[in-house]
Amino acid sequence: MRLIDALRSRRFWQDFDWFLLLTALALSSIGLLEIYSSTLNMDSGNFFLRQLVWISIGVGLLFVVASIDYHVLAEHVIFLYAGTLLLLAYVLVFGRTVSGARSWFGVGSFGFQPSEIAKMVVVIALARFLAGHKERYMTFGQILAAGAIWAVPVILVGLQPDLGTALTFVPVLAIGLFVRGVRPMALVAGGLIVILMMPVTWFFLKDYQKDRIITFVQPETDPLGSGYQVIQSKIAIGSGGMWGTGLFQGSQNQLGFLPTRHTDFIFSVVAEELGFVGVCVTLGLLLALVFRSLSLARMPRDTLGLFIIVGVVGMFVFHILVNVGMVIGFMPITGIPLPFLSYGGSSVLTAFIGLGLIISVRGGRLVN
Amino acid sequence: MRQRDELELLNSRIVVVLGAILVAFAILVFGFWRHQIAQSPYYQGLAERNRIRDIPLEAPRGKIYDRERRIIADNRPSWNLTLTREDSPRSPEETIAILAAGLDATEEEMLDRLDRRRSSPEYQSILLYEDLSLADIAFVEARGFELPEISLSFQPRRRYEGAELAAHVLGYVGEVTQAELSGDEFGDRKAGDIVGRFGLERQYDALLQGTDGTRLVLVNNFGREMEVLGELKPVPGKDLVTTLDLDLQRAAEMALGDRTGVAVAILPATGEVLALASRPAFDPTLFARGILPEEWDALVSDPRDPFQNRAIQNRFSPGSVFKIFMTAAALEEHVVTSDVAILCQGGKVFYGNRFDCWSAGHGHVSLLDALVHSCNVFFYTLGDQLGIDRISAYATMMGLGQRTGIDLPGEDAGIMPSAEWKMRTTGDRWYPGETISVSIGQGPVSVTPLQLTYAVGGLAVGGVLNQPHLVNPEFLRQAGLEVPALRSETYPVAADTVALVQRALWGVVNDAGTGTRARVDGFDVAGKTGTAQVVRKDAYSAEFEDHAWFIGFAPYDAPEIAVGVFVESGGHGGSAAAPVAQAILQTYFDKKSARLTRNRTPEMARND
Repeated sequence: MRLIDALRSRRFWQDFDWFLLLTALALSSIGLLEIYSSTLNMDSGNFFLRQLVWISIGVGLLFVVASIDYHVLAEHVIFLYAGTLLLLAYVLVFGRTVSGARSWFGVGSFGFQPSEIAKMVVVIALARFLAGHKERYMTFGQILAAGAIWAVPVILVGLQPDLGTALTFVPVLAIGLFVRGVRPMALVAGGLIVILMMPVTWFFLKDYQKDRIITFVQPETDPLGSGYQVIQSKIAIGSGGMWGTGLFQGSQNQLGFLPTRHTDFIFSVVAEELGFVGVCVTLGLLLALVFRSLSLARMPRDTLGLFIIVGVVGMFVFHILVNVGMVIGFMPITGIPLPFLSYGGSSVLTAFIGLGLIISVRGGRLVN
Repeated sequence: MRQRDELELLNSRIVVVLGAILVAFAILVFGFWRHQIAQSPYYQGLAERNRIRDIPLEAPRGKIYDRERRIIADNRPSWNLTLTREDSPRSPEETIAILAAGLDATEEEMLDRLDRRRSSPEYQSILLYEDLSLADIAFVEARGFELPEISLSFQPRRRYEGAELAAHVLGYVGEVTQAELSGDEFGDRKAGDIVGRFGLERQYDALLQGTDGTRLVLVNNFGREMEVLGELKPVPGKDLVTTLDLDLQRAAEMALGDRTGVAVAILPATGEVLALASRPAFDPTLFARGILPEEWDALVSDPRDPFQNRAIQNRFSPGSVFKIFMTAAALEEHVVTSDVAILCQGGKVFYGNRFDCWSAGHGHVSLLDALVHSCNVFFYTLGDQLGIDRISAYATMMGLGQRTGIDLPGEDAGIMPSAEWKMRTTGDRWYPGETISVSIGQGPVSVTPLQLTYAVGGLAVGGVLNQPHLVNPEFLRQAGLEVPALRSETYPVAADTVALVQRALWGVVNDAGTGTRARVDGFDVAGKTGTAQVVRKDAYSAEFEDHAWFIGFAPYDAPEIAVGVFVESGGHGGSAAAPVAQAILQTYFDKKSARLTRNRTPEMARND
C-alpha cells in the first residue's frame, strides 16, 4: 500500500505544492459561482452541486496522483498505453454515442471517456520517450518515433470522431518536441507541413465544423446560426465593462442569450458579470498556474518530470487559449472547455489529474 | 552532454515557451480590453436592446359627446399582429406563409406590409395585420409558442356611434404621415401615431390625443417576457363635450337624405351649434379600421365630393336670402321707410339692362310685402339707391364675407364684394349695374351656409354676432387648453328694423309667403327662401338646376334657434329646403315641449 504510505508521510505534505492547489481551487470557485449564476434559470438539474461533487472527486484524485511516483508510472507506461488503445478501440465499436461522437465507455449508469485517460497516458508515454534522449537536437527518426507514439491514440480519438479532443493532443507533441530540441530547419518544415495540411483537413470536416470556421471569419454572415453564439458572447463580454454587471446580474447570461454558458462559454459569463477586472484576475490565476508549473519543470530531478510537466502545461495552455480565444472571437468555436471553470466531469477530473501529475513531479524532485 | 548542461538547454527552451504563452495571454487581455473598456458602451447598448423591449401602450383618444352627454365617438379594443425578425428562427416569408394558412389576412397583404418595412432594424417589430378577429386571435394564441417572432399588440381603435352621423363635424383619424411629422401641426408626434385628420378630431387633436405609455419588459432569447421592469400607464385623451344635439343632427341628416346639401342649427344667443349636417357624407369608421385603397378611391372620385363639409367649406350665392340684409341696410340708411311702396311690373331697366323679377309683376309693394314675396324689382331699386359700398359695409357688419370662426378646420370666408374688392381682385372698377345683381344675392356675393345662418340669426336677435362653436371654450380651459374667449359682437341696428324683418319673415312662413313648408304648428317660425344661381354649369349635369336655400329662426319675435338649409340643385327654396328646416325645428320644439311637460311641478299643474 505504497499509496497510503505516501499520503501518511510527513514528507509528502511538506513538499506538497499548496500554491498550485489553491490557485486551482480559486479558479474552480470562480467557475462554481458562475455556473450557479448561469444555471439559475435552467430547469434541469443542479449543475452547481454536481460540479461541486466533480471538484471534490477531482481534488481527491489530485492527491492520489500526486502521491504516486511518476517514475513508476513511466516504467509501466507500456501497459497503460496498450490499455488505453484497447479502450479507445473498444468505444469505437461498442461505445455510447454522445453528440455525434462514439466516445463514451459505459458501465451501468456510470460513463467515462477513454480519450480523457488517453490525454494523461500520451503525456507520460511521450515524456518517457523524450527523456530517453540527451542530444541537443533530435534526429528525424526520433521525431518520427515520437510522432508515432503520439499519433496512434490520437488517430483513434479522431476516428470517434472527436476532432476537438484530438486537437488538444497537438500541443503535447509540439511543445514536447520543441523543448526536446528540433533543428530550426525542421521547425520551419514542420510549420509548413501544418499549414499545407490545413486545406486537406477541410475535406474531413463536417458541415457544421465548416460553418463554424466560415462564421469565425465572418460572424455577421449568419447572425442567427453559428455566428449567433460569438455575437452574443461578445455582447456579454463588452457589456461587462470594467467592473462587470455584478454576480447574477448579467442580462446576457440570465436571459439565456449566451449559448452553452455553463460549459464552453463560462468565461463570457465571468466577463459579463465580473467585468474586465474579473477577466484579468481569472487570466492571472490561469497564468500563475502555468508559470508555477513551468518553474517546477525547470528544476526537476530528471528530464522525465520536466517533459511530463511540459506536456500537461501544453494541454492546459491549449485549452485556455482556444477556449478564451473562442469566447472573444479570436478562435473558431470548437467546444473545448476551460480547465477548472467549465462545467463537466471529464473536464474537471482531467484538469485535477493533470495538476496532480505536475505536483507529483515536484514531490519527486526531493524524493531520495 | 552532462545532465546539468542538458537541463540548462531545456530550461532555455521552456523560457521561450513561457514567452510565447505570455504573448498569447497579452493578446487575449488586449481583446478583452478592447471589448470591455474601449467599446463597452457599444456592447452595453446591444445588451440593453437584447433584453429590454419597450412596448408602446397607445393611449385611447378622448371620447366625444353631444350636449346631453350621449357618446358620438369612443374607442374599442383591438389587436394587431406584429413580427419581430430578430427573434425569428425562420425567414419572414416562412412565418407569413404559416400565418396566412390560419388567418383571414392574405399572404400578399402581409408580404406587402413586410416589404415596406424591410429596411428597418431587425429588432423593430413590423405590423403585419391589423384589427384581428376573435378567430384570428385564437389562431395566433394557439400557434404563439411555435412562433416566438410574432406577437399581438393592443391598440384602442376609434368607434363612431352612427355610421355617417355628424361625419363632417367629427372628422376622422389616421396614422400620421412622414410629411406631417416634419410639419408644425403634428411635429411633436411620432411615427405610427394616430392623429385627427379632419373636423373636431383634427381641431382638438391635442386635447383628444392622450399621452402614450410604455412598458419596459425583460425578455429572454426567445423574446418571451420574463419580467415587467416598469410601466408608464398611458394617459387617455380628454373627453370632448360638444354643443351638438344628436336628435337635431339626426333629424337634419334624415331630412336631407340622399340629396346633396347642408342643414345647420345654431343658437344665435350663444353661438352654440346644435346640428351641422353636410351630405353626402363618409363613414369615419372606415378610417379607424384602416381604409382600403378601393374604398378611398371610391370616396375621392365621387363627383359629389363626400369629404367636403359644405356648411363651412363651400361658398354659394345667397340668392334671395340676401334681401334680408338689403332690407336692414335700407332701413338703417333711411333710403326707404316701411310705408313706401314701389311698383313692380315684372322687371325694370337699370343702366341700359333689363333686370327681371321672378313674378310677372307684384304691383305696388311695400318693403314688408317685398320681403314676404321676395320681389326683385323692389330690391333692385333699393340696391341702386344704396350703392355697393353701403351694401357691402352693412352686410359685412352683419357677418357676411368673413369667417364665422367656428372651431372646425378649413372654413371658407365667402365674398362680400365692394368697389375696393373688385379693384383689388380684378383691377377693374365697379359698375353700378353689378350692384343690381348683388341686391338680390347674385353676382360675386357668396356665403357659406353656416355664415348665412349665423348672420340671419344674429340680425334676428337684435344685432348680436356670437361666434359659432361646437365646444364651449370654458370646457376647453378646464381641460387645460389655452383658447381665446368666444367673439361676441353687437352692431347698431334699430329695434324697428329688427321687428320689421322678424314680422316679414314670419309672413314668409305663415302668411302665404314662399316658405310655408317650414311651418311648425304652435310655434312661430320665421324664415326666408332663396334660389341661388348655378355658378359652375360644367361640373356635372344636375347642377343645371338651381340651388335651394331656406334660412329661418323661431320663435319669430324672440328667436332661440336659427336654422339654415341649402340643397344643391334642389330647385326652389320653398319646396326643397324649407321642409328640412321644418324637420329640425319640429324636433327642437318637440323636445322643448317634452322638457316643459317633464319639468312641470304638481303646483303648476294644479294652477292650470
